[in-house]
Amino acid sequence: MASENAAIEPKISAQVNNPEIYEDPSTEQVITKRDLNKLVWRSLLLQASFNYERMQAAGWLYSILPGLKKIHKNKQDLSESMKSHMEFFNTHPFLVNIIMGIVLAMEEKKQNRNTIRAIRVAMMGPLGGIGDALFWLTLLPICVGIGASLGADGNPVGALVFLVIFNVVHFGLRFGLMRYGYYAGTNAISSLKENTKKVSHAASIVGLTVVGGLIASFVQIKANLVIHAGKAEIALQEDLLDKIMPNILPLGYTLLMYYLLKRGLSPVILILITVVIGIIGKIPFPFGTIL
Amino acid sequence: MDQEILLQALLIAIWAGIAGIDLFNGLLHIHRPIVTGVIVGLILGDLPTGVMTGAAIELVWAGMVPLAGAQPPNVVIGGIIGTAFAILTGQDPQVAIGVAVPFAVAVQACITLMFTAFSPVMHKADKYAEEANTKGIERINYLGIATLFVFYFVVAFLPIYFGAEAAKNVVESLPAWLIAGLGTAGGMMAAIGFAMLLKIMLKKQYIAYLIVGFILVTYLQMPIIAVALIGLAIAMYDFYKTSGGQGAAMRGARGRGI
Repeated sequence: MASENAAIEPKISAQVNNPEIYEDPSTEQVITKRDLNKLVWRSLLLQASFNYERMQAAGWLYSILPGLKKIHKNKQDLSESMKSHMEFFNTHPFLVNIIMGIVLAMEEKKQNRNTIRAIRVAMMGPLGGIGDALFWLTLLPICVGIGASLGADGNPVGALVFLVIFNVVHFGLRFGLMRYGYYAGTNAISSLKENTKKVSHAASIVGLTVVGGLIASFVQIKANLVIHAGKAEIALQEDLLDKIMPNILPLGYTLLMYYLLKRGLSPVILILITVVIGIIGKIPFPFGTIL
Repeated sequence: MDQEILLQALLIAIWAGIAGIDLFNGLLHIHRPIVTGVIVGLILGDLPTGVMTGAAIELVWAGMVPLAGAQPPNVVIGGIIGTAFAILTGQDPQVAIGVAVPFAVAVQACITLMFTAFSPVMHKADKYAEEANTKGIERINYLGIATLFVFYFVVAFLPIYFGAEAAKNVVESLPAWLIAGLGTAGGMMAAIGFAMLLKIMLKKQYIAYLIVGFILVTYLQMPIIAVALIGLAIAMYDFYKTSGGQGAAMRGARGRGI
């Protein structure tokens, strides 16, 4: 059993067993204000490689990459850091800068890799929600309202007014949050240095609670099948699955993927399986579609 | 005349490419119909109609915002095709909206497909990360941007050059189940991302918190911020309850005490 595990995930276990070991453990301050500003500009491409499997992960890595390169001069350390930042990531594209600031401060102080991961995961979900409410549901309608009321009379200045108001708030926040995140992160780390393991544990608790919630809200699968038993009609989703537990399919599918990953299946195969299931699910059979 | 419409279609297509990138990257919001209306109006030589149509389309899309990953009909193509159609055919802004919305829905389905198709590229990115190849990571992101530009360029160019009606027929000839199936697969795809996170983060002592988070959203429909705060409350309770070194060492997550 133990040897089987070791065979399946040699890389992961090497990383998890030595999460604190950096080949170059120096914690010199190398990130400057200019670096922070530069990274804000890069974070405009956060969703350049957006996809359903990791969402913003590669764009996130792109955004912080010059910072990581400056911090980790050791190639092995850089590789470990880059690998962990390629994991699933999704948040609001404006508020991402505060997470960037905090994570960079943690990387610079060579914090435990698991702690960095947990902080990143714990922050992305809530900030996503706050950002949606703040920007898409508040700032955007206000700016659009001002601009469109001018435009309805055929006045092209409306568009300009819209762009100026929106972007003053947009970029003000981005640069402000980046700095705030970095300095708050640096200060918090030095006061928490004594307790890194406990912080890692605490962050993992928040992180996994959030992941549990994200599975329920992000993964979307619904059965569409109606079973005809004599005169009775049973809708698979509403009458059966929802009675057992709502979101049972999203949870079940995530756990299935987790199980298959642990069994050593590559994520690419899992994507293919998912696409095939999706298409089969929507084929109009005589008895209706499955999904 | 032919030369002129070709030039106009090309210019609009370039604008569509830029605006399409801005929808997800940059987010200066130059992609909104209110701005696009002005630009398309300028290109087609009818600024007042462009501005008015853009404003009308803007109000249609005002409530359609990307929430929690769910994508509304594509605002870029809706604004551009709608405005161009209104100017080129002399129709009312309202009619233009009727033409623009089905287009925007079809384009969004294609975007879903792109998000699905880009998933396997992430494994190339994993390899670059492993090799600490920063240039490789950057190339992948630039490839994403280029793909977006080309996609929007083509999607805007064809209907304007060949006429909106012809393009609508092509869209409608694709089997609906195929498009719907790819959309469904897209909705399921996040499960793989979460599974990969779980593979790294999930240890026996954390399963309880995963269940708590899931229950809070499934049965109590709590927003993620509330879930995170509850997680934080549990974490703080745990943190201060064990604030001797002993508790942490006893948990034995990793050998050494604090």
